[in-house]
This record gives sequence, structure tokens and C-alpha cells, in this order.
Amino acid sequence: MNAFFSTIVPTIATAPPPAPRELTGGFWLPQASSVNAENIDATFYFITYLGYFFFALIVALMVIFVVKYRQRGREIHAEGPTHHTALEVTWTIIPLLLSILLFYFGFKGFLSASTPPLNSYQIDVTAQQWSWSFKYPNGVVSDDLIVPADKPVKLVMRSEDVLHSLFVPDFRVKKDVVPGRYTTLWFNAPEPTGMDARKAHHLFCTEYCGKDHSNMNRKVYVLNQAEFDEWAEYQRTADQRSPVDERYFRVAPKLYKRCISCHTLDGTPSTGPSWGAHDGLPAIWERTEKGLTKFGDGTTLKDYIGPGKEYETPEAYISDSILNPGKHLVAPFGNAMPTFKGQISDVGIQALIDFMKRLDEFDAKGNYLKPIPPLPQQTADPKKTANAAK
Amino acid sequence: MTTLDASRPTHLNIEASSDNYLTHTRGLLSWAFTLDHKRIGVMYMFAILGSFFVGGVFALLVRTKLLFPDAVNWMTAEQYNQAFTLHGAVMVFLVIVPSIPAALGNFILPIMLGAKDVAFPRLNLASFWLWIFGAIFVVISLLAGSFDTGWTFYTPYSTRTTLGGVVWVITGVFILGFSSIFTGMNFIVTIHKLRPPGMTWFRMPLFLWALYSTALIQVLATPVLAITLALVAIERVFHIGVFDPAMGGDPVLFQHFFWFYSHPAVYIMILPGMGIISEIIAVHSHRHIFGYRFIAFSSIAIAFFSFLVWGHHMFVSGQSGLMGAVFSLITFSVAIPSAIKVFNWLATLYKGSISLNTPMLYGLAFLFLFTIGGLTGLHLGTLNTDIHLHDTYFVVAHFHYVMMGSALIAMVGGLHHWWPKMFGRMYSEALGKLGCVLVFVGFNVTFFTQFMLGSHGMPRRYYLYQPEFQIYHVISTCGSYIMALGFIITGICLLKSLFSGKPAPANPWGGRSLEWQCPSPPPHDNFPTTPRVGDCYDFSIVRWDDSAGGYVVDRSLDPELNPNAPKRAGAHH
Ligand code: HEC
Ligand SMILES: [Cu+2]
Ligand SMILES: [Cu+2]
Repeated sequence: MNAFFSTIVPTIATAPPPAPRELTGGFWLPQASSVNAENIDATFYFITYLGYFFFALIVALMVIFVVKYRQRGREIHAEGPTHHTALEVTWTIIPLLLSILLFYFGFKGFLSASTPPLNSYQIDVTAQQWSWSFKYPNGVVSDDLIVPADKPVKLVMRSEDVLHSLFVPDFRVKKDVVPGRYTTLWFNAPEPTGMDARKAHHLFCTEYCGKDHSNMNRKVYVLNQAEFDEWAEYQRTADQRSPVDERYFRVAPKLYKRCISCHTLDGTPSTGPSWGAHDGLPAIWERTEKGLTKFGDGTTLKDYIGPGKEYETPEAYISDSILNPGKHLVAPFGNAMPTFKGQISDVGIQALIDFMKRLDEFDAKGNYLKPIPPLPQQTADPKKTANAAK
Repeated sequence: MTTLDASRPTHLNIEASSDNYLTHTRGLLSWAFTLDHKRIGVMYMFAILGSFFVGGVFALLVRTKLLFPDAVNWMTAEQYNQAFTLHGAVMVFLVIVPSIPAALGNFILPIMLGAKDVAFPRLNLASFWLWIFGAIFVVISLLAGSFDTGWTFYTPYSTRTTLGGVVWVITGVFILGFSSIFTGMNFIVTIHKLRPPGMTWFRMPLFLWALYSTALIQVLATPVLAITLALVAIERVFHIGVFDPAMGGDPVLFQHFFWFYSHPAVYIMILPGMGIISEIIAVHSHRHIFGYRFIAFSSIAIAFFSFLVWGHHMFVSGQSGLMGAVFSLITFSVAIPSAIKVFNWLATLYKGSISLNTPMLYGLAFLFLFTIGGLTGLHLGTLNTDIHLHDTYFVVAHFHYVMMGSALIAMVGGLHHWWPKMFGRMYSEALGKLGCVLVFVGFNVTFFTQFMLGSHGMPRRYYLYQPEFQIYHVISTCGSYIMALGFIITGICLLKSLFSGKPAPANPWGGRSLEWQCPSPPPHDNFPTTPRVGDCYDFSIVRWDDSAGGYVVDRSLDPELNPNAPKRAGAHH
């Protein structure tokens, strides 16, 4: 089982997007994959059929009247009634009653959708421009949302920067993620999807958050309880288990996906400084080591690195840039980088630094150019691997 | 030949060359500094139509990018974000909010009242020039680095985005707000003070009721927007935290402030449109509007409720569930007056003499589209379904059905309705109808598909999307091209009429209210003396007159205007 995840998880993290999913569900709504979806769909269809009825009524009357009472020639026959109080009161009362009914349905559904059961499994969500991170009770952090099947799951969400909104259409759940507040959302997905990207549910950011808003989407995988526990346990030790000198290609590329929207590897300009060589500067590690990086306030990195200065080593500067961005602003960039404090472990930061030192072993998207060997202590299970790769 | 008004000479025989507001004085300055509401209305109209063209180009750019789910080189994500932001900002602040009141309202309102002008002509001119300054600031913002905040300016993104145009455009919208407030104030006072003898409140044409309710909202709600945007600018420039939590502010507070204006603003857009539709349907059915009082009261009811429902934009924003429930409940109360209006318009068709002229086609298109827009609003006002649909294309489709399919279609319908009055020329009915049909078909192809996109989960403001959504996007984009073609034909049709259109009679459609009783185009003073009015929806005294080449309102038959008028069956009060 461990072998299954050891091969599949890095694949999800770095592989190109899988073949497109077909549209699921019916004419109006996608597949309903959470317990609450049914209830929302029932309300949706009730309103929709009500809509069909009134639309047909109104358009039919309109067409009949227009045909029947066409003006012939230039004669004017203006004899229809000017008002009819009973009729008008009727078409005031009927919409009134219907609206109260709709309100009631909506309110009932809303109550259950916004009250997570007490025994919910809690996952902490952090949104930032432009990535999600999901943190599980055992400390594991993932980019895709992995949840146990048939169990209420509660997401407690916060944002590092601007507004975001977490939306899983198949679950019919959505909630804004607001900086400076915690918001929550819950669902219960009964059907496992396994680690199959084509069965997995879409997760979108639906509150406009800037350049890569439309890239801020991930997948939701639903695993049955046993698989989920195994996954969580495997992930908890995964980083530590990989040998220190292999973490730069096992751990770092996954983490780099949260930097890619602002830091390119090939020198192209973006929201943050490229890690590749650009504008006469060498690539990130070399320019940091040599202290060449220039800051917005006119100082240079040289002024800060060395014994007795702010940073003892170049590594300390990089690590601080990730945990406390904005302390020294690289020219000409603004204070746009979110902090990754509490989200990337020391192991992760060390892996990223090693990754920066050996950028030539990766392609422009941060994929390791050589095949990744299986973890030494693991024996691959070919059946599961084949399954997952399908 | 019948006299129009016993107390003064008829204007029917006036030659096109004689005095009218277009030829009253000449020269550019005589327009730029005119105090004539008609000229101000016409200038507003061309300025707004120009902005509509610009906003439309941005829309087509957005739609064209969305033909493909993945990145295409000719437009980057940043450019896309600016394009949809500009589309929204231009269409809302420069086009739809001012369109009907400032352009058509300015032209028609005083004439409908038989007045010479609005109550404060200088304020009116100031409003127009403020609009121009506001528009200039929007242009400057483009040169200063543009902006990508969405037309909603949600914080803290709007206080953090690095693009340089944000403060400029905020200043522009601030100024445009005052332009809108000035128009509103002017209309309120004009309607209170300048109604002609015989026109009690419940004798006003319904377009005036609609403009009056709109003006109330403009005056009461717009200052909130102005202050809110000023706060955003202060936060950006001086880093005083109001909305940005990093500076101790609250981003949800911004949403409350913003929607406190912007929900009522939806009614600033749609109410005058409903007013136009009441006129178009009554005039082209040549029959008394059905249920006058219900329609008039529903305008006021909508204006009132519109202030109490802003929270329905925020069901998933993290506001408390109780607030969500209260806002949902009140939101449904807006559905009722809207439903009343639709049924009353339908009943007005019953037993009318319906002529399917171009304006009437727009009127019927409005009924069709507004019904869809209104009914899909129910999905969004209902709490649990809104969770799923919020911020998806379902919302995009819904508000386009209401703001474009209804408000803008009403505006274009009104333009066709009053065009002969404004310029004294008839346009080609065939071209006008062709344009209308293409716009109608294109509109539905574009936006109906977006309902499906949204209900299947496609979020709005996406540059890239899942490949399974592509088919809908392609259909939608094709629709937008059909619509663009329709608008081009409409534009050609109207412009052509200015050069080669037949001269328009005073009353080409068989209208009854005062604007159809002065020549087309109206003289500088509209009416030599303030005319008395009767029931402005009593069409029994309107009839065709060959010598006038159009309909005439035979005022001598109205018992209120002429004590000796013969008694008629079917005269109403
Ligand atoms: C939202 C955009 C954004 C994201 C995401 C982002 N950064 Fe940054 N980053 C910036 C900007 C802008 C700067 C330059 C300003 C500064 O120094 O804070 C920067 C600077 C840096 C620097 C200093 C660079 C130098 O040349 O000295 C490092 C190191 C860094 N980021 C690492 C990361 C890592 C690692 C990640 C992912 C885990 C990441 N960043 C994600 C925007 C981002
Ligand atoms: Cu987003
Ligand atoms: Cu609203």
C-alpha cells in the first residue's frame, strides 16, 4: 500500500494535467457527490420547474395576445379594461406565497449546510495567491484535498493575502476565504474516488484574486477510511523517510508548485523575481551566494550576509525570505509574497534551497529531468501503480 | 383637420427648416454650453453610445479569449483581467447607470411634463460635464497602468494590486457618482414642481414614476459608493487601514458598503427601463396601461426594498447565517413588485391594437428576457441554491439578462421609440427589426448557455477553464458575435435615418402623452404655453390623420380639456 502512494503522490504533484473529465450529471447540475447536494438539487429543480411554468405562461400569453390583437390598418380600438383589482391582488398574492415557500426551502437547506456535525474531521485550509494548502490533524500538508469517504469533513479556512473562495461543484459547497478571519465549510462525500484524477472532483477558487485566479484550482480525492488513514500516515513520514540528499527532487518540486505562479525558473519576469538568470544577474543561488541581489532601498545583499551581519549564511537569507517575505524587498518588486510560515517545514525549506542550488537538473516547470527512483526501503507494488497511472 | 390644442396654434405644419432645438442656435459652443435639456440629453446619448461601443469591444475580447480553454498568446492573463474589469466598469458606470435617466430621461421628462426645461438647467449641464470628466479619468487610468480589480473593487485586492490605474478610476467613478446625483436631484425637483395643470401624481406617465423612483435611489445611495471608493483610495495612498486586514481593516465591511450602493444601483439601471417598457407597451398597443396604480406603486416599492437587500450578494462571504436568512427573505419581497409589473404589461396587451413596430419588438423582447432574468433570480435569492451558484457563470448570465437583456434592451427600445421625436426622422423599419431580432437571438445564444456553464460549476472571471466547458464557451462566443452584428446593423439603421430618413410626424406611433403632441423635433421651448393634460393613457382620442402623416391626439374630444366634448363610451378615469 505504501508503495502505491509513494509513486502516485509525486505523480499527481508534478505530472501534466490528466485527460479532461467529461461533464457529469444532468442538463443543469453536475453529479451530486455529497450528502447535502441532494437537498440543494431538490430546491434547484423545484425553482427551475416553477420557472418553466411561469415562463411558458407569460410567453404563451404574450404570443396569443400579440397575434390575436394585432392592429389592422391604422384603426385604434382601445377598449380593454384599465384595471381589475381582484386579478391584480391575485397576482400579487401568488408570488408572495411562492416566495415564502422558496425562502423556507432555502433556509432549511442553508441551516444544515452551514452547521457542521460535531464529529467532523477537521482540515485546516490556507489560501494564498495562488495556491491552496490543506493541513491534516497529523501535520501533513497537501496541495490537493484528500478526504475520507462517508464522514463529515469540516474545512477551517483562512487566507494569507486577499479574498479567495473555495468551491467544489460536485459537493455544492462554497465559502469565501477571508484574510483576518476564519470561515468554515463542511461536507460529507459518501462515494470514494480513489486516487484517480479523472474521477476526482474539481476544486475551484471562485473569488477573483488576481493574475492566476483561474489557476487556483485543485482536485478533491475521496478515499475510503482505511486508504485515507494509510495515506495520511504515509505522508506524515514521507519527507523524513526520503534520504536527505534526495529531498531536492522528491520534496522540493511539490513545494515549488506553490511558488511557480510568481517565480519562474527560466528568467521570464513574473510577479516575483525569477529564480533563473535574468537582467544580467545569475540564477538565484549564485546571486545569493555572491550577494549580488539588489533591494528596493538601494542596498545590496552583500550588506546583510556574513559573520555578525543579519544573516550568517546565504541559506539563512533564503529561509528568511520564505518565512518573512517583505523584510527586504528585491528591486523592483513590491511586497506581494505571502508568508509560508507554518506551512513549509524545515525539511521542506532545506529541500527548496537544495533545489535552487541544482536548478539545471529540472525543466522550466520544476519537473525533475531524470526518472525518480522508488524510495530505497520500499518495494513497488506493480498492480497498484498500473492502476493509478491509468 | 383637428386642432391639437384650442388655446394655441398647431405646430403640425411647421417646416423642418423652421425653429427646432437642433437648429435653434448653431456652433459647437452652443452645444457645449447649452442649457437645453434636449441638447444635453442628445449629447449624453452619443457619449453613452460611444462608451457602449468601447465596453462592447472589451466584451468581445473577453469572449474571444474564452473560445479556448488554455492560454492563447495574443492575450495574457493580466490583459484578460483588465479586459473584463474594463468591460464591467465601463458598462456599469459609464453606460447603464446613466443611460436611460441622463440620455432619454433628460430629453423626454420635461416634454412629458409640458415644461420648458428641467428645474435646474445649469445643474443639468454640470452633470453632463461631470460625466465627461469622470470618463476622462477612466481614460487616464488606462494610460496610468490600467486596473484589474473587477468592477466591484473588492478589497483587499484593490488596495494591493500593483497596477497604477486604480486610484484614477476610483476618482473617475467618484465624479460619475456626482453626475448621477445631480441628475437625480434635478428630476426629483422637476417632477415635484413642474407638473402641468391636470397632471396629478397618479396621472403621470409611468416613465416619470420610474424616473422619480430612480432619482430617489440615485440621491440616497450614490454618496455611499463615493465615500466607500474614497476610503479605498485613502487606504491605497496613505495606508490607513479600513478594509485591508493587514492594516487592521475589515474586507467584508467593504462588501457591505459596496453593495449598499450597488444593489440599489441595479434598480437605478432597471427601473427606468421598466418605465420605458410601460410607455412602449401602452403606446404600441394603443390602449390604456393596465393597473396603473399597481405599476406606479411597485416602482416605489422596488426603490424602497432595494435598500434592504444588499446582503444577498454575501451569502457565502462569511457573514452570519442569521443575516443571510434575513436578507434572503427581504430579497424575495423585490420579486413581487417585479412580477406585478410583468403581469400588468401582459394584461395591457389584452384587447389592445398592437402594432409590431421596432420599439414594440424591443418591448416584447424585454418581457421575454426580463422574465428569464427574474425567474433565475429566484435561484440566487434562495439561500441553499445560491451557495452552489454564487460567483459562477450562472450569476453572470442572470445579471446580463437583467442588466443587458432588460435595462439595455429597454434603453435601445426607448431610443427607437423616441428617435423620430428626437431627430425628426423615421428610420427603416426593416433594418431596425433585423437589428432587434439579431440582438435578441444573439443575446440568448450568448447568455442562456452561460446558465448551464454556471450551474455545472464554471466560476466567473476565469482566464483558463476545464476543457469540458469548452463547448458552452464556443456557443456563447458565437452568440456574442451575432449580437455584435445586430448592434452594428441597429447603429447603421439609426445613423442612416439622420441623412436619408423620411421626416417624422409629430406622432408616428399613436402615442398619447404630451411628447407626442409637440412637433418632431421639438422646438426650443417644447410648448409655447404649458398645456393642460388629461388621462395620458386614454387612447380613445388618438386617431390617424392623413394630412398630418401620423396620429393626432384629438384634444377637443377629451372632456377634461374641452367641456363641450361629446360623451363617449369607454372613457376611463
Ligand atoms: C504571490 C507571489 C509569490 C509567491 C506565490 C511566492 N513568492 Fe517569493 N517573492 C515574491 C516577490 C514579489 C518577491 C520579491 C519581493 C521580496 O523580496 O519580498 C519574492 C521574493 C522571494 C525570495 C527572495 C528572492 C531573491 O531573489 O532574493 C525568495 C527566496 C522567495 N521569494 C521564495 C519563494 C518560495 C520558496 C515560494 C514558494 C514556496 C515563493 N517565494 C512564493 C512573490 C511570491
Ligand atoms: Cu481566486
Ligand atoms: Cu443585489
